[in-house]
Amino acid sequence: MSKIENLKKQWEAIMSCMGCGDCGFAIRPAVGRYLVCPVKEAKGEEGFEIWFARGRMNVLKSILEGKLELSKDLAEFAYQCSECGSCTDTCHETHNPYIILNTSKWIDHVEVWHALRQDLIKAGFAPLDRHAKLIEYMNNPDMRNPYGEPKEKKFEWLNDVKGVSKTGDLAFYAGCTEPLRQKETLLNLAKIFNAAGKEFAVIEDEWCCGSISIRIGDIEAVKPNIEHNIEQIKKTGAKKVFVACAGCYRTLKKDWPEIFGQDLPFEVVNVTEVLLDLINNESLKIPEKDTEVIKVAYHDPCHLGRHMDFYEPPREVIAKIPNTEMIELRRNRNNAWCCGAGGGVKSQFPELALDIAKDRIDEAVESGIDILLTECPFCVGNLADSVKKENTNMKVLDIIDYIATKI
Amino acid sequence: MTLIQKLQNIVTEKFASDDIYVRHAYSRNVHPDLQGVPEYVVRPKDAKEISEILKVANEENIPVIPRGGGDCEWGGSIATGDVGIILDMKRMDNIMNLDEENLICTVEAGISWGKLNEYLSRFGLYTGCMGPGSGLTASIGGGISHHSVGAGGCAKYGACTNQLVSLEVVLPTGEIIETGSQANKFSKFPFNRFGNGPDLAGLFCGDNGIYGVKTKVSLQVFPKPPFANYKTFLCPRNSAEVAAQIFTEIRQKGIDVYDAMYIDEILIKLGTNTFGMYPMFEHLKRKRGIVFYVVEANSEQELEEKIKQLDNILLSNKAEELGSEIADGNFAKWHYTEGQWQTYHNCWGIIPTFENITTECFTPIKSFPKILKDIEVWDIENEENMKKIEEIAGFRPISGTGVVPLVDGNNVELTCGFTTFGCYHDGEYHEIIKDINLKLWKSFLTLVLKHGVQFYMMGSIPSRLMVEIGAYTSEYYNLMKSIKKTLDPHMILSRGKFNFWEDD
Amino acid sequence: MSEVYQKLKKIVSEKFVSNDLYMRHAYSRNVDPVLQGIPEYVVRPKDAKEISEILKIVNEENIPVIPRGAGCCEFGGSKPIGDGGIVLDMKRMENIINLDEENLIITVEAGISWSKLNEYLSQFGLYTGCMGPGSGLTASVGGGISHHSVGGGGCAKYGACTNQLVSLEIVLPTGEIIETGSQANKYSKFPFNRFGNGPDLASLFCGDNGIFGVKTKVSLQVFPRPDFANYKTFLLPRKSVEASVNIFTEIRKKGVDVYDAIYIMDLLVSVGCQYGLFPLWDNLKRKRGVFFYVIEANSEVELEEKTKQLDNILLTNKAEELGPEIADGNFAKWHYTEQGHWLFAHNLWGVVPGFEPLDAECHTPINSYPAILKDLDQWDQEHSEEMNMILEIAGFRPITGSGPIILIDGNNVEFTCGFTSFASYIDGKYYDIIRETNIKLWKSILERVTKWGVQWYMMGEIMSRLMIEIGAYSEEYYNFLKSIKKTLDPNLILSRGKFNF
Repeated sequence: MSKIENLKKQWEAIMSCMGCGDCGFAIRPAVGRYLVCPVKEAKGEEGFEIWFARGRMNVLKSILEGKLELSKDLAEFAYQCSECGSCTDTCHETHNPYIILNTSKWIDHVEVWHALRQDLIKAGFAPLDRHAKLIEYMNNPDMRNPYGEPKEKKFEWLNDVKGVSKTGDLAFYAGCTEPLRQKETLLNLAKIFNAAGKEFAVIEDEWCCGSISIRIGDIEAVKPNIEHNIEQIKKTGAKKVFVACAGCYRTLKKDWPEIFGQDLPFEVVNVTEVLLDLINNESLKIPEKDTEVIKVAYHDPCHLGRHMDFYEPPREVIAKIPNTEMIELRRNRNNAWCCGAGGGVKSQFPELALDIAKDRIDEAVESGIDILLTECPFCVGNLADSVKKENTNMKVLDIIDYIATKI
Repeated sequence: MTLIQKLQNIVTEKFASDDIYVRHAYSRNVHPDLQGVPEYVVRPKDAKEISEILKVANEENIPVIPRGGGDCEWGGSIATGDVGIILDMKRMDNIMNLDEENLICTVEAGISWGKLNEYLSRFGLYTGCMGPGSGLTASIGGGISHHSVGAGGCAKYGACTNQLVSLEVVLPTGEIIETGSQANKFSKFPFNRFGNGPDLAGLFCGDNGIYGVKTKVSLQVFPKPPFANYKTFLCPRNSAEVAAQIFTEIRQKGIDVYDAMYIDEILIKLGTNTFGMYPMFEHLKRKRGIVFYVVEANSEQELEEKIKQLDNILLSNKAEELGSEIADGNFAKWHYTEGQWQTYHNCWGIIPTFENITTECFTPIKSFPKILKDIEVWDIENEENMKKIEEIAGFRPISGTGVVPLVDGNNVELTCGFTTFGCYHDGEYHEIIKDINLKLWKSFLTLVLKHGVQFYMMGSIPSRLMVEIGAYTSEYYNLMKSIKKTLDPHMILSRGKFNFWEDD
Repeated sequence: MSEVYQKLKKIVSEKFVSNDLYMRHAYSRNVDPVLQGIPEYVVRPKDAKEISEILKIVNEENIPVIPRGAGCCEFGGSKPIGDGGIVLDMKRMENIINLDEENLIITVEAGISWSKLNEYLSQFGLYTGCMGPGSGLTASVGGGISHHSVGGGGCAKYGACTNQLVSLEIVLPTGEIIETGSQANKYSKFPFNRFGNGPDLASLFCGDNGIFGVKTKVSLQVFPRPDFANYKTFLLPRKSVEASVNIFTEIRKKGVDVYDAIYIMDLLVSVGCQYGLFPLWDNLKRKRGVFFYVIEANSEVELEEKTKQLDNILLTNKAEELGPEIADGNFAKWHYTEQGHWLFAHNLWGVVPGFEPLDAECHTPINSYPAILKDLDQWDQEHSEEMNMILEIAGFRPITGSGPIILIDGNNVEFTCGFTSFASYIDGKYYDIIRETNIKLWKSILERVTKWGVQWYMMGEIMSRLMIEIGAYSEEYYNFLKSIKKTLDPNLILSRGKFNF
């Protein structure tokens, strides 16, 4: 029998699941909740209960009780989950501060799935093939990014920007996705900072934050990255580090201190918080250049929203952009529908990721907006891939890119 | 051909599975100990497929267990034993027709009460009785199979089967029938349950899934009145008796209250002081029982008038009104505007793996305070077992009742029981907890049963216990059984419930 | 005396069994001019135990048994089909067994009439809600349950009388006695709920037209009769049929808990006035369709408020309110305060001597009856020849139409349509041809209406068999019904012949 150390640590969560099934079926207009599990919905009619939290919890109960073992087959199920945390948010949550359903205190599904993935890795049933590649690239001394790109390529964007330095109070942790896949966004970020007359420091020899490896459940693989990156950030002398990637945000702010075992010697903030400061202290002025009002909505990335309870700063930023009408999607904030990319789904199960995204794109199109804004390169990437397949003029943009169009 | 191949021939490969993990995903209901791992799980798309599956099951002599939302607390939608085919009805969750003119909605039986009501709300309609407390997940078919109540509206509309118009049912041998007005095959759409001969739909109402598989349900729906009010009151001492008195007076005055519910003193005390469940009640100096009501009306004046009538009853019974906001303790407001399908989840997982073992039953209003007193005695009598659980789980079980709603007629739904724990603690499976749980559970059910209550959701435990302790007369049991044998000669469907076994 | 007679006598004692020819003829008819069946024995049992013993004997002897409540069936439901068999006259069992004032549940013997029961309840400020069938002065509670009866008032608010059922004591065709609902748990001390303890087996006997068991004891939910009530009658505009549909539908869509809402079609108003049935409407210039409602409330303010809501619906549909008194045309007042609810269906009887409607009583969606009424006009013309033949003999051409149309459960009406005919005996002579024509036309109109998809509830002999003859049940449904019948009644003793069993 394979070891299930991490799952055992989650026994209280697993055994506290009563099996009511609201994690698969809840529709509660009273609190803005319209369905729960993006994977279950994407599986559609084939949605056996193994595809959402309750059925998975039942399997884990059987594993804890020694009636069932881990296997490669289980890994195939386990990794088809974007770890969006919607099930946790629904699980026995009244969404009212005056009445508490206590189960919500003990069950964090994402932590449970995480424990399962770690045990699958330890037992040798994971990572799955494509995930193994990502980790391999991440730890390749010539790459240090999961995209398999040469190490140097990640810093090429800096050649086209000015106003960045190697040290300073405010450092920018660029991550891998934007430098390697969405370079334009970083150039736009620099453009905004230039317009505001504000500088930031960049981190030399920045490695992947390890988000993907942590999501896959390989914690050991990521430890050198954390240590290295903390040292590199220290070198900038920054007290505050900002990120423009929701995955990096969660990883730096939550996972690093946990895995590293102590508080970080700097504060981690999201780019929208920095932008909001710049707008509020009037260093960044966005001119009212066009008269046409653009309708936008904000898609909450799971790694910012449900994982980190970070909902309002992006909305506050959007509210300050002239000629922009913000419409809330039917499912927003903690009820937001996942884009489908997270938890390693996009890399290993790209079709599933697109199926999930379609649901979100349909919702956005129905709301009648011109642009769907978000603040996560994975959401931007996956939603943009999905929107291409739809017959719509709606665009998907990072908030940074949208602001840049106004400057 | 193997059985899985036969099943896949019927539903196609994607919708039938014998994968070990898929099977375990369907091995439990809302209960920590009862388990049954099915051999196959099938997600049929319509009555025709189910009919074919049942024909195969009859040939192969393999039990079939229909599963709606899987929310039974007594193992009703899992296999009895590690056998059989689970019919996962949740694929069949479409709304087939809303007859706006006649206010009748026809749905596939797997749809949840939450989903159906979200749809109806767009037309200003609702189902009246909002189904069971687990209605966010629980299916309409399951509700009809149990006469479900509890999620709200059952003081006004009664059990959900009161709203039934027509059923499409697949009989255990595979025939498909439609009931009520649809028994006349010239009828173009369902409009009435009662006629064309005996009310055969009733056979499947409360049948706990033994007589047929519900595939299509037509329900009367109602305009949701534009006006409603909701108030919560603190009871004086002896609050259970006071609540029973209030409920009785409401009925005797014939006020069409939408909901009236009682939360027992012990639940308020522990829930507020010890477990932090009710921040809304923290400010109460005295933690006593709570009564709340919801009343609806078609105009503001009508509403005011009804409130006056109700408040009159409450105040003359010395109940003390709490403030109007949820923060002030107005549980009723939360219940009606947000919480109708969560009111019962309160008692789950108060501490990790904490679990209630309960009996849900209907009982006359005035009988429930007596039953509660008897439960206290029972609790003391079982001190030894309670202690054993405490030793392992670190917490002594508590006996009592969840929220007590006024239902159909002059009855309440009484969800009483004791809190216990699942068997798995801290890396170990404790067989002894399972033994004690089952033993205490049966003892508790027997105690309550002997108060003459009526069970409605019976699953595998109460349905068999009633037979084992001889609560049915032999004439009644034989009638139930002879119908079972006529409809299901091989006892395929939900085999084991009510102790109907293959060799019977 | 025969052996069977001796056995019956032993069970019920001599006074309560008879095979006297006159006695048997006294039980040979129900409320229709056509159907007749002379039983071999009439028995008046006193309780379930006696009935159980009777049923055991008849199973041995293979003699059919026909339970008879009040004998008010219009479709031959409580007399033998063909001559022979035993009629169980349930009217001896008419006692009130218990009124549970706390839980508002009354338990009665099944032979009691709706009026006797309600007279008793009124002493406590209570009533049965749904007041049973239109013949409730005589009709029994057991018969009501056997047919999901409506029509005697209160069914817009309370629905069919089976909605109020809590528990039944039944003697099964093979003699076993069971109690249903909460009483299935033998620890239950008194009936309190219908729904639970497993499948709702009571439902088998609801609407069963007496084929599955003999009802001996019935527990019903009863209700406090509200202190305040209002009742108004309106003259409808032209196209009153359509107007009435709109009014019924709007009442339901607005969710106003009207106690009764009833439409009387223009044909009935005008013919009725012509024959002097409705002096209260003599003063109406235009004899159009009439609509009336009854509404109840717990306070004057509540009543006013509900009246306002209803009047709003009526007035926007251009209905014209008649005066408040019965003399002013306020049929509703008569209906509610003088218990006209148990008489007003009788209006159509004996308009001229020997005159008798042959009708079809069914439930149908509100919005369906205008089309059915039109089709009945068509049907009438198609059968002009037969109608004229009746005219020649009886001096009056049959009229085809509908009696009062009553809002019931959900969004349905009780629709009592048919044609007026005559009994076969006219002026000293028995006309076989009238009898044949009656049956032929009756079956024809029943079939016609069935094909509109309506739902029958009181089916008796003629309707229950016609459903099978015209193939209105699907094969699966009929087999299902039959398999249950054979399970409960292997020798097909009870009400033999109904549903062609």
